[in-house]
Amino acid sequence: MTIIYQAKSIRTMNPHKPQATHIAVRDGHILAVGTKDDIDIWQSAWGEMQLNTDFAERTLLPGFVEGHSHMMEGLFWNYHYVGYYDREGPDGTIWPGLKSIDAVIARLKEIEAARSDKSENIIAWGFDPIFFTDRRMNIADLDSVTTEAPVIVMHASLHILNANNFVMQAAGVSESDNSEFIRRDDNGKICGEFLGQMGMFMAMRTTNLDFLAMGSSPQTLVNFANVARQTGVTTATDLANPMPAGTEDPMLEQVNQDSYPMRLVIAYQGTSGTPEEGVARMQELAKRQSDKLRFSLVKLIADGSIQGFSARLKWPGYFNGAPNGLWYIEPERLRSYLNAFTAAGIQVHVHTNGDECTHVVLDAIEEALRAHPWPDHRHTLQHCQMASRSDFRRMRNMGVGVNLFTNHLYYWGDAHRSVTMGPERADRLDDCGGALAESVPLAIHSDAPVTALAPLFTAWCAVNRRSSSGVTLGGEAEKISVEQALYAITMGGAYSLKMDGEIGSLEVGKRADMAILADDPIEVGAEGLKDIGVVGTMVGGLVHLNKARA
Amino acid sequence: MTRKPAIAFTVIGGFLGSGKTSLLNHLLSHSDTQRQGRLYAMVNDFGALNIDAELIAAQNGNQIALSNGCVCCSIGDDFTRALFALLQEDPLPAHIIVEASGVADPARIAAFAAVDKQLRLNGVVTLVDATAYQTHAHDPQLADNYDRQIEAADLLLLSKIDLVGRAELDALHAGLEKRRPDVPRLEVSHGAAPLDLILGLEGTMPAARPLDSHNLETSAVHLHGPIDRDALAARLSTLQPHLIRAKGVLTDRRGAYVIHFAAGRVTLEEFDATPHGHFVIIGKAGIPNAGQLRALLQDLLEQKGKE
Repeated sequence: MTIIYQAKSIRTMNPHKPQATHIAVRDGHILAVGTKDDIDIWQSAWGEMQLNTDFAERTLLPGFVEGHSHMMEGLFWNYHYVGYYDREGPDGTIWPGLKSIDAVIARLKEIEAARSDKSENIIAWGFDPIFFTDRRMNIADLDSVTTEAPVIVMHASLHILNANNFVMQAAGVSESDNSEFIRRDDNGKICGEFLGQMGMFMAMRTTNLDFLAMGSSPQTLVNFANVARQTGVTTATDLANPMPAGTEDPMLEQVNQDSYPMRLVIAYQGTSGTPEEGVARMQELAKRQSDKLRFSLVKLIADGSIQGFSARLKWPGYFNGAPNGLWYIEPERLRSYLNAFTAAGIQVHVHTNGDECTHVVLDAIEEALRAHPWPDHRHTLQHCQMASRSDFRRMRNMGVGVNLFTNHLYYWGDAHRSVTMGPERADRLDDCGGALAESVPLAIHSDAPVTALAPLFTAWCAVNRRSSSGVTLGGEAEKISVEQALYAITMGGAYSLKMDGEIGSLEVGKRADMAILADDPIEVGAEGLKDIGVVGTMVGGLVHLNKARA
Repeated sequence: MTRKPAIAFTVIGGFLGSGKTSLLNHLLSHSDTQRQGRLYAMVNDFGALNIDAELIAAQNGNQIALSNGCVCCSIGDDFTRALFALLQEDPLPAHIIVEASGVADPARIAAFAAVDKQLRLNGVVTLVDATAYQTHAHDPQLADNYDRQIEAADLLLLSKIDLVGRAELDALHAGLEKRRPDVPRLEVSHGAAPLDLILGLEGTMPAARPLDSHNLETSAVHLHGPIDRDALAARLSTLQPHLIRAKGVLTDRRGAYVIHFAAGRVTLEEFDATPHGHFVIIGKAGIPNAGQLRALLQDLLEQKGKE
């Protein structure tokens, strides 16, 4: 059966026919795109087709491709959301944004009041102190929720968490403990914020719960896809997953179901084993791939984060004088992994944040490519936030793509200007305009759950380059147009995953994956891009509507 | 109330090729579980460890059990979760040794012991490759890592000493002496460092085994009678930098206690059973001999009597 969907506008991302009003879908693929007359030609040759006008007032785009997210986004919905912005849970419940610390505490008290087992942990996520400049959340705040059980509030950045006194007592933390991971207030008292891995370790030890262990459970997979559906994403990535033997079986069972509303690309965490073990595992996983679940790339992590001061920066280093960050892998080992995967013809995405790290990673890729020439490797630098034009030129020359973390412009843009890198480097942060001007294949991402999974917001950031305080970072040279941003969240992502032959644009023969939007982003324009409602998605010709926004 | 004994926690830092694996191999194959308890080594790469096949009792997934009771486990990609999992083991390890990656800041790993009361920091051992330190110290991308490893160390081991001349070795010593005069240094060959020095003096009895070849000395005494723990802690701190380790199981008016000196720090724990009344120290030439040690402790005894 063939269904013709009539829409107010169809933005195809196919330069041969950028705009259309009708699209015919057959066997999960696109049969034809164009005007009513274009489709009628097919009807006369292939027989009568069914017209569906459900989306006659909607705009259709290729389904969005989120090229850098984490399945942890799905895991977090097992805990309590306390973020600043309204966020829709996987079940369609809208959780109103909490606009003050008091509002967060009030929400936690509601949770405490509603539960029957008072000794259970209260774990919340998404808290973002960037919005509360008057004061910081402290131990007393969380003690006011309960003193009888652990209360843990994870920050949106995932680099910090707040804990109540119960957690501190259980962990055995006292005022005499000195650690860079324990934050103190202006009076030198422990304030209840714990940093980095240490904070996470304390929380895990106290609750006796490995928060991140249920990373690929069926519920997590479903949550992840439901959140993706609400934002128009039809292909998302889990970057990365160690994929121990056998873990692919339950994933395939879940994702292959028609009711599962998303394609999922899992990147194998490259350093989970030796380079040889990684190559063998990838070859094994390659045989298990399906239309909806792919194991097609490897991820390597080379440094840390800029706001966590763990990224590796070139001179002059951090603006506030913090010592340079840490390599997450020895440059020597990075080279051996890149070499092994390149030799085996396996695509690699490398996490790099600081400009020194980007430089070292490009050197390593260059070395691997000299040893194992491979014209269409599409190795990709992920985040790559501090890249200069010269870095982009090297990428172009080597065929390396980039997936920039544009949500940082909004969430940490102010901090980057005033604390981490100072004005000039912050102005060229996540320089999408520079990447395109130097002809580097561009995608943009959210790194969900670090920031909310929402490609239209990610595109808005790339177009407007505005921080949360309203400052614009850089100028016209760094901005990209709405059209370019929409291309980045569709074809750009698809290209980075080597899936641009099957998804990313709406044209004959490709998969019928679409984002169904309330308004046409080209007409709405730069300012309103992030506020466009998402009605639902189509994945392989099957429609998945959002309950809350339909 | 029975208190779980704290698990000793040791971090081994140093660049790729500095001999961390040789040292771990030496510790694992020579460790005496009777004396030192079950030793768990957290490593980056099993393969590199190249454990003698005869020593392997069982291997499953990310753990290798050795016939001497030691266990070797893989860190994988997330140290936090690997450590969390290890602390769920039953029975618990007596000692956890972490092989830090070549670019890790060992102090950050050691910090886990600072905020977890089940862990007692036994120290950070940094290996310095005598053949490569010049390269590392001047590599613009690695020099700060090298600095951090030296800064974090409680004990510096100079490795690959047989591959450089005496003059070069002396220069390395002089450089390290300038940067960390407070930290003992030892030359090791093929990872053969004295176990008591790295692992501590767990279970060591006064008849401490003789130490040779490393210019180390050890003294031990038996004694009875109360010795104030805080006074002893203060006194031990004055014996640096000669003193490297000390352990005693003693009593004072608050009850029986175990005192450890390691990594330049004193740790005190309550002790449930009747104390053996012994005290052992290990250090470089210049630490008190048995007679001096007895006098030192008796001095504290008398001070307490005057209170």
